[in-house]
Amino acid sequence: MMAYIVRRLLATIPVMAIVGIFVFMLLHLSPGDPAAIIAGDNATEANVAAIRARLGLDRPLYEQFVSWVWQTVRGDLGVSMFSNLPVTTLVMQRAEPTIALALTTLFVAITIAVTLGVLAAWRAGTLVDRVVMGFAVMGFSVPVFVVGYMLVYVFAIQLRWVPVQGYQSIFDGIGPWLHRLILPSVALGLAYVALIARITRASMLEVLAEDYIRTANAKGVGTGRMLLRHALKNAAVPIVTVIGIGVALLISGVVITESVFNLPGVGRLVVDAIARRDYPIIQGVMILFAGVYVLVNLTVDIAYTFLDPRIRY
Amino acid sequence: MATAISTGDNATPRRGKIADFVRRNPTIVVGGTLMSLIALAALFAPLIAGDPLSFQPINRLKGPSAEFLLGTDSLGRDVFARMVYGARISLLVGLSVAAISIVAGLFVGLTAGYFPRLDTFVMRLMDGIMAIPAILLAIALVSLMGASVRVVIIAISIPEIPRVTRLVRSVVLSVRELPYVDAARSNGTRAFKILRRHILPSTIPPLIVQATYVSASAILTEAGLSFLGAGTPPEFPTWGNMIAQSRLYLSIAPWTIFAPGICLALVVLAVNLLGDGLRDHLDPRLARRM
Amino acid sequence: MKTTRRNLLKGGLAAATTATMVGYGPKSARAQRRNEARYVPHADLRVLDPIWTTANISAYHGAMIYDTLFGIDANLNPQPQMVGQYNLSDDRKTHTFVLRDGLRWDDNTPVTSADCVASMLRWKARDGAGQHMWQRVTDLSAVDEKTFKLVLREPYGLVLEALAKTSTPLCYIMKKEIAETDPNTQITRHIGCGPFKFVESEYRPGTRVVYEKNPNYVPRSEPASGIAGGKRVHLDRVIWDIMPDAQTAASALMAGEVEFYEVPPIDIVPALQAAPGVKIEVLSALGNVGYCRLNHLHPPFNNVLIRRAAQLAVNQEDFLRAAIGNPQYYRVCGSHFTCGSPMGVEDGSEMLNQPMPARQARARELLREGGYNNMPVVVLHATDIPVMNQAAQVIAQNLRQIGMNVILASSDWGGVVTRRSVKDPPVVSGNSTTGGWNIFFTWGGGNSTASPINLFAHAATGQNAWFGWPENALNEQLRNEWAAAPDLATRRAVAQRLNRNMFEYVHDIKTGQWFGPAAYRSDRLRGVLPVPEIGPPWWNIERIG
Repeated sequence: MMAYIVRRLLATIPVMAIVGIFVFMLLHLSPGDPAAIIAGDNATEANVAAIRARLGLDRPLYEQFVSWVWQTVRGDLGVSMFSNLPVTTLVMQRAEPTIALALTTLFVAITIAVTLGVLAAWRAGTLVDRVVMGFAVMGFSVPVFVVGYMLVYVFAIQLRWVPVQGYQSIFDGIGPWLHRLILPSVALGLAYVALIARITRASMLEVLAEDYIRTANAKGVGTGRMLLRHALKNAAVPIVTVIGIGVALLISGVVITESVFNLPGVGRLVVDAIARRDYPIIQGVMILFAGVYVLVNLTVDIAYTFLDPRIRY
Repeated sequence: MATAISTGDNATPRRGKIADFVRRNPTIVVGGTLMSLIALAALFAPLIAGDPLSFQPINRLKGPSAEFLLGTDSLGRDVFARMVYGARISLLVGLSVAAISIVAGLFVGLTAGYFPRLDTFVMRLMDGIMAIPAILLAIALVSLMGASVRVVIIAISIPEIPRVTRLVRSVVLSVRELPYVDAARSNGTRAFKILRRHILPSTIPPLIVQATYVSASAILTEAGLSFLGAGTPPEFPTWGNMIAQSRLYLSIAPWTIFAPGICLALVVLAVNLLGDGLRDHLDPRLARRM
Repeated sequence: MKTTRRNLLKGGLAAATTATMVGYGPKSARAQRRNEARYVPHADLRVLDPIWTTANISAYHGAMIYDTLFGIDANLNPQPQMVGQYNLSDDRKTHTFVLRDGLRWDDNTPVTSADCVASMLRWKARDGAGQHMWQRVTDLSAVDEKTFKLVLREPYGLVLEALAKTSTPLCYIMKKEIAETDPNTQITRHIGCGPFKFVESEYRPGTRVVYEKNPNYVPRSEPASGIAGGKRVHLDRVIWDIMPDAQTAASALMAGEVEFYEVPPIDIVPALQAAPGVKIEVLSALGNVGYCRLNHLHPPFNNVLIRRAAQLAVNQEDFLRAAIGNPQYYRVCGSHFTCGSPMGVEDGSEMLNQPMPARQARARELLREGGYNNMPVVVLHATDIPVMNQAAQVIAQNLRQIGMNVILASSDWGGVVTRRSVKDPPVVSGNSTTGGWNIFFTWGGGNSTASPINLFAHAATGQNAWFGWPENALNEQLRNEWAAAPDLATRRAVAQRLNRNMFEYVHDIKTGQWFGPAAYRSDRLRGVLPVPEIGPPWWNIERIG
């Protein structure tokens, strides 16, 4: 077990290295000049060239790469070319909304999806099942920003129940915080609900067909208890897997959702940085997201061993 | 695929057969019909709708009327015309991305699965690409290389390749050790021939299913990129562009957002239904898992 | 209060209006208790050095925490600001400046003439008008703690105008050791001498910027006017809330989450106008001027006939209608120097009055005469800034209407800024293009474009000119004549000749002038002053509700 974890951790090193090389090359080999953007509209070409030199962008590429790698390996993500603030500081400033959105979305999605999935499996083949699964396919198909705008139009503009946009820190109180996160998490959670509900239903069906469930049923264990205690617990492995896979989906979704609802999160930070060619921020956040993705998948794999004693490494 | 679609010399009357197919595969039928309708609209767009590009600023943000069935957008362009033409780009992106990522993924997956020496390196590379958030990679590619349909297609294809590769590789790994493949190898048959003759065919059914899901997600991603302003040029009538350029008018002219939004959802729904149906059909094992 | 709110939420979001109040309640309540104002500016503040970048938003930041030697008043005349006494020698070559009493940095050290000298040197290294002036400067030096002098080789009429200019970069005065930073490196410390202090600990790029009243600032005695005069600060704090989405910002203003929204898109102005407590006011009389730059280096626009054809084809009304919308807030303008400004002459622009079909017919003739062979015209198209997005598409359609083969090269503004500096000709293959360009669109503040010298884009010095690289000897001769002109009437006469000439060789193509109104809560703020550019001045504003 320990050896397995160590092996997996070591395997993340080449993965992260590839991410790093890829992102660096992508940025530095394509046209795009932060110096021109910094200098602004009224600047002369000489100004732009001087700024480029100051930022070290005229150095040979391998030199820039080596210094960037050295710096990154020491845990320093660099300094924004525009605001002169360390990338880590900028990310910390923006982390709360993103983490909050991801967590509330996961919470909303898992709660709804597992309920629906269990319901569909329990009533497999009936109208309930069809409706739930139809809803699941729909959830896959509507883009998050369309759902977002529909929700905003109905609940914020027409009914005026919730604010159109924005984020309020959880430290200002749970009420306002939740109030502003409801729509974004529902919008973002929908695709996720679809994914998890389908998997839940499938694995529940498989488990429900197993002998020990029939035995439990025959022994007269109440349906509700049986579904929850026995079936769901054993169906957990594929569900957890899908949650792991979904993290990639979630990261992409977070970027768009932050834009629809004007949440000042990490997603918007990097989208803005791309528009400005602020290389250190783009590189740093990409590495960070990739790291999160790798870690979550690692955690999921390790979680298997706890959820399903049959899996051994 | 063989069981249901190859009809021909069976004894049952034709109509009964179709009815039977419809009854057993409602998702393929619904998805397929929807898809065909949209494809037809895309194909015959010039006959159905007016000019999606030209505009009259004097007519901007007009509501639905006889002249403009779905009103006009903020430049005074015909929303209905842009919506119909939008189907072209969505389908083009969906098909191209599926084709590129399947071909590339197939190649890489076969190589990795069959040649163990390359396997570790290739799969680490794929893990690396997968770890980069797809949408950020695409935004970065598009902003850095300039917006065009071609760049968008490439940008969306790259993150799909590792997924296809993994799928192909897992098939190869399971097929490679089967007795008849083993036999061929010990006969001295060349690797290329083994791959083509014995391994490739078994990857086809799961790849067809995968292709539909890739198309669906490609269409969604294209729209998402356009929405973030990093997709096809705004002049192009794509649904994502239409939504992106109308976000300001949500409360004044909601039709400019909802018309393309509904189309987008319908197309993706159709492709997904088709995919689900094909999966049930082609890969019963996988179907049971889902 | 908090429990009530949560209970209400639990209670199923009872009445629609109440729930809305609930959502917005805590912030506005807190804002009312504090003597502060929240402001949604047009862009995010990323760069804190208004000399290093020429971005307008950084100049806004500069106006908060720094001061200038001279400032432009509401009538667009330069007035002494940090300077107490100003003297011009009889030979009109030596300018002597004496700082007024009581000027202190916000770290409590006094402002000295050495600070001013260092700041002027750093500024002129980055500024076109500064460089134009410096061609004549022989000496700039401190005489004593509060006095410094500027000596020129020949009389130059624009010294005060340059020091007071509102086009970026402005000549902000910084502390000597900070001003000695290389002009191409961003400053890292932000010690001001202006009416406000920058609160660095609360700076969140992309989200918020906070300023508080500078207790060391001593305002001039006269009333505030334009960005000159007595900058009396009544607010304790001013908070910039960055909101990239217009719909979002408008809702926030209506809900009272912010008090001031600088540039609401004109399409949503009616909705704002209808909201209680919101006032819509045009604060800048000169507004903005849009223009598209043609690349004079390469075909087809190296040919004056083709440039003239394009000038006839671009319809200001189309652009203004598409990008601005409401005719109340725009005007067609035939001046390169901003209609409504002292130099806003329209000589040479008569063709703007002709009907479009006639202009287009004439343009097609010119294309034939110029030998236009359907060569593709690459228009750089910034998609992430709404006005620019619309502009490029309108220009493309206008040129297509006279039979030009137009390709839009779309990217974000960052892409346009990078590509416009490429001097090579564009390379076209199919629908995609690389290399240089033929046209791009941008705009400037009306007060900036009003001066033939201050705006670098007015120069026609070929390879050394601003992007597009127009070259015209007469233009340069007239600009120098304008700079040397002794009085307003003479300058205006020179401007007439300049404008006529610019239309004739088609320096660039103006696309019209617009006056974006600001929206603010007049039930909470009093004393909002009109500004020529670089605003709003947060001095003079009082919180009343």
